[in-house]
Amino acid sequence: MVVSRLQYIRRRLLLAVPIIFFIIALNFLLIQIAPGDAADVLAGEAGSATPEYMDQLRRKFGLDQPIYVQLLTYVSNVATFDLGFSFRHNKPVSELILSRLGPTLLLMVPVLLISVSMGILLGAIAARYLNRWQDKTISTVVVLTYATPVFWAGLMLIVLFSVKLGWFPTSGMEKIAAFHTGLARIIDIAHHMVLPVITLTLFYIALYTRLMRASVIEQNTMDYVTTARSKGLGEKRVLWGHILRNACLPVLTMAGIQAGALLGGAVVVETVFSWPGLGLLAYESLFARDLNLLLGIFFISACLVVLVNLAVDLLYASLDPRIELK
Amino acid sequence: MLAQKIQKFMSLVFTFGLVMLMTQQVSAQAVPKASPTVTPQQGGTLVMVVQPEPPTLASFLSTAAPVGQVATKVYEGLLEYDFKLTPQPGLAKSWKVSPDGKMITFKLQENVTFHDGKPFTSADVKFTVLDVLKKSHPRGMNTFRALEAIDTPDQYTAVFKMSEPAPYMLMALSGYESPMLPKHIFETGDVTKHPNADLPIGTGPFKFVEWQKGQFMRFDKNPSYWKKGRPYLDRIVTRFIADGSTRAAVLETQEAHIAGFNAVLPVDVRRLEKLNHIGMTTSGYEMQSPIVELDFNTRTKPFDDVKVRQAVAYAIDRKFVVDNIWFGFGRPATGPINSNFKANGLYTADVKNYNVTNGIEMANKLLDEAGYKRGAEGVRFEITHDITPYGEEWRRFGEYVAQQLGKIGIKVTLRQEDVPAWLRRVYTNYDYQLTNNWIQTLADPVIGVHRLYHSGSIRQGTVFVNGTRWSTPETDNLMNQAAVETNPKNRAKIYHDLQKRIVDASPIVFVHELEFVTVHNKKVQNFLVSPLGLYSTFDQAWLQK
Amino acid sequence: MRDIFRRFARNIPAVFGLVILVLVMGAAFFAPTIYPQGPFEMVGRPFLEPLTDYLLGTDQLGRDLGVGLLYGARVTLQIGLISTLIAIFLGLTIGGTAGYFGGWIDTLLMRITEIFQTIPFFLFAILLVAILKPTLGSVIFAIAVVSWPPMARLVRSEFLSIRNREFVQACIVMGMGHWQIIFKHVLPNTLSPIIVTGSLMVATAILIESGLSFLGLTDPNVMSWGFIIGSGRSVLRTAWWVCAMPGIAILLTVMAINLVGEGLNDALNPRLKNI
Repeated sequence: MVVSRLQYIRRRLLLAVPIIFFIIALNFLLIQIAPGDAADVLAGEAGSATPEYMDQLRRKFGLDQPIYVQLLTYVSNVATFDLGFSFRHNKPVSELILSRLGPTLLLMVPVLLISVSMGILLGAIAARYLNRWQDKTISTVVVLTYATPVFWAGLMLIVLFSVKLGWFPTSGMEKIAAFHTGLARIIDIAHHMVLPVITLTLFYIALYTRLMRASVIEQNTMDYVTTARSKGLGEKRVLWGHILRNACLPVLTMAGIQAGALLGGAVVVETVFSWPGLGLLAYESLFARDLNLLLGIFFISACLVVLVNLAVDLLYASLDPRIELK
Repeated sequence: MLAQKIQKFMSLVFTFGLVMLMTQQVSAQAVPKASPTVTPQQGGTLVMVVQPEPPTLASFLSTAAPVGQVATKVYEGLLEYDFKLTPQPGLAKSWKVSPDGKMITFKLQENVTFHDGKPFTSADVKFTVLDVLKKSHPRGMNTFRALEAIDTPDQYTAVFKMSEPAPYMLMALSGYESPMLPKHIFETGDVTKHPNADLPIGTGPFKFVEWQKGQFMRFDKNPSYWKKGRPYLDRIVTRFIADGSTRAAVLETQEAHIAGFNAVLPVDVRRLEKLNHIGMTTSGYEMQSPIVELDFNTRTKPFDDVKVRQAVAYAIDRKFVVDNIWFGFGRPATGPINSNFKANGLYTADVKNYNVTNGIEMANKLLDEAGYKRGAEGVRFEITHDITPYGEEWRRFGEYVAQQLGKIGIKVTLRQEDVPAWLRRVYTNYDYQLTNNWIQTLADPVIGVHRLYHSGSIRQGTVFVNGTRWSTPETDNLMNQAAVETNPKNRAKIYHDLQKRIVDASPIVFVHELEFVTVHNKKVQNFLVSPLGLYSTFDQAWLQK
Repeated sequence: MRDIFRRFARNIPAVFGLVILVLVMGAAFFAPTIYPQGPFEMVGRPFLEPLTDYLLGTDQLGRDLGVGLLYGARVTLQIGLISTLIAIFLGLTIGGTAGYFGGWIDTLLMRITEIFQTIPFFLFAILLVAILKPTLGSVIFAIAVVSWPPMARLVRSEFLSIRNREFVQACIVMGMGHWQIIFKHVLPNTLSPIIVTGSLMVATAILIESGLSFLGLTDPNVMSWGFIIGSGRSVLRTAWWVCAMPGIAILLTVMAINLVGEGLNDALNPRLKNI
């Protein structure tokens, strides 16, 4: 049964609720398997702690409750958008996430935009000049950049451009001791963004270029293309006018998937560049057994993915009229 | 009278010992001193790299090294210490110990204010020590156990009354170990979950301004600091950088000025020390005295047998470990007490020596004697070796141990977990056979060493205490005696006996004495003014323009 | 069949890739025969540069890097192949069924896929490995679990697209059974993106493994290329070869896999080559 767009959206959002609940429950239960809890971590860091003190901590964190009670408490809180309190950082989880969401977006949005657009462009060019030098060059370079481990690329870029040449800062999001404001701050942050963005983009461009290239090649065999050519349309017109629209679809699908992984996918780059993003925060919260924070990050990420997937499916349907929204 | 004489004598011994110690330190620079003709310059922002990011600023609840490095800029203690380990005036401008050693009268500095403008008085001292440190500080409960009451006859006098003499207590009154807190802030509410835990208000030369988690903390100059003319710096920013190579890089590019506690990895230190603008020192850690060890589970097979434990102790080439895994930073250890204590005579090297050239041969012999003959593929038995989760060097160390033990017929499977899992396993569940570890033995064996070997320290669920669960009545006795013995010669004798017995029984393999390194830009002057190193307030530190 | 081989053989980059792969697999296979003592043996002075006593130098504990690479090939390939195979199988089954049959089956399977896809994959991999403790098995499991959703979605969107084509509609009208349609018509037409994506996935698996190793989440008893890179990370500036060599090994292997994958693609779909 074909439904209207609005109904479809509503339905998808409703369906998302059990999914998100499931994700939270899954991660919550997985973490329970891991030995040790937040009290252990704090005790370890304090250098010593008596069992009484640790019991005190556990009561404070609510860790002394049975598991199902903890889970239900958490879920009911989340339903009212209360993501809980991070006992490790002594702040509400939502505040922590918001403060690190900005830097993450600052990194991932440019990466996504640049890599998708460049990927589509390069992929189309490679496919257009199939097996000629443009294709061979692009394909070779792309495979090389894809195959390079991201953290190694990052470290090498730091060694070359920061330490040896001094063109860019080694790490961080802004110059700490300067405390810039306004335009100076924007420029400072942009300056710090360059290397981490390049590091990540190299990887993703390769991904999208390859996919686009394969997709365009496939489209070339389609009947409608043969038709267009036999109608005497120029190669350029065929490519840009017809093929591109359809060839983009797998790329957009993949981009949608990657956008969903936006929040956690940059852990490695964030580690190398000390970029204060959510990936690093989640990583730390796992090893600190900071349950609320970790679950909170997964929750936000889940919501983001749901929204992005919905957007991609809508886009897909609008680009390919033969696909029905069910 | 006697107590004062003892104190003076001990200071002399310390002085002599430390002078000897410092001239012996191999790859340490001379303590950086500003030449007398150079006057400190005002101004500048000092950027310090701290690793890992401290979980809290409540140094009255946590003694972790990162906390110590940052909180000490805001809070101060009653005393400071010079390199001879002699107590110096801090917030207490003078003090008198009674003849029987059971009463100490502190006269406080006058007209000292907290960062919120309220005055610092003896009421704050009484509150801090009795209500906070003695109750909730991880070591405070032990340090102040003999303290019964504090009288405050006037706002600048605090009289400590003890049930018995406690000579070690005067060594524990630094701003790191016993920070003075504002009573008017912390008396309301529960100190263990206080909103001001991370919004510290102290008397120190720097005020806390902000903390961006995952990035930095900022401390600005306290304009009404009680030491006139200080601090020289305008601001201190502590930066948190997850990646080791990046930490080295920021010092290289001069974005940061100083990093201690091996925030810069030893391998990078070796590289950085060749640069003109970089200086390095292993000084400033004399009150930590950490030892790297291999801990056995002495209650289960195979390490319940002393011969097997000794065999493992023989199999380790300590020099190789220091040179290749810690890049030369360290000294082979001989026993439970760090050789830093050679200075006051408590240390002895006259113990069973496992660091011999024919170690593998000795180990094989012992294992044969213990009844573990070689079987198929030359394997005597298998064990799992846990790796302490604090960094890369421990993995390399684990891999090394696995190879060495393979040579004596022990098949090793390595296991790596994260901090909470490892702590649970070792100190709560006792579910391990062999693990590597490192422990700070601190400023006095009573504080740092007893907790590892005394039967009273076998406390399930408490971390960094006697996790091997080894003890003997004789060694317990020796430790009890040493805690109250005031005659330094007798005390030394007791500790020598203790070291011999512990090393013989080998509940722990003593591998090496860890050396921490502080890497700094040569522009930074006067940051190292006491053995507390980076745990001092930095009120004298200044940046050369 | 013969034609496919011939077309492949004429594709020079693909042959080049195949040669590399054969070498890598040979290294993996013969490593224990040539160096039975294993890669953890400390044989020389630490940090010897390449081309001195040992061809590829030694690492921090004096272990022969060359031996490490050979043994590493074994483990890295194992991890990459097994996890990918599991992931492809899961993705094909779930995505194909969803895309073809549609309706509530599609909805249900896609909800499940969405669950796994909604979790940030690298974080989830870290979570799984950390919880299950870093061992060979947990790493393979974690990589497989985070890799299948993209494959499933891709397969589904392809199946969805093709299912709505005229010729498939015609088959249905003709009364052809579902399995016949799937295996004879739908699957072959989706093979191209599946092969490309699948080959990329082995590469991704190897890269995920190196990323996990970089963060310290490897089996400490098993030497993979990622493990060697992880161990060399802190000495990158002084002993660059410890990171560089396995990095190059990964690069070559990943590249080779891609070239072979594409070669297969071109060989299976000859029409596409001659535009």
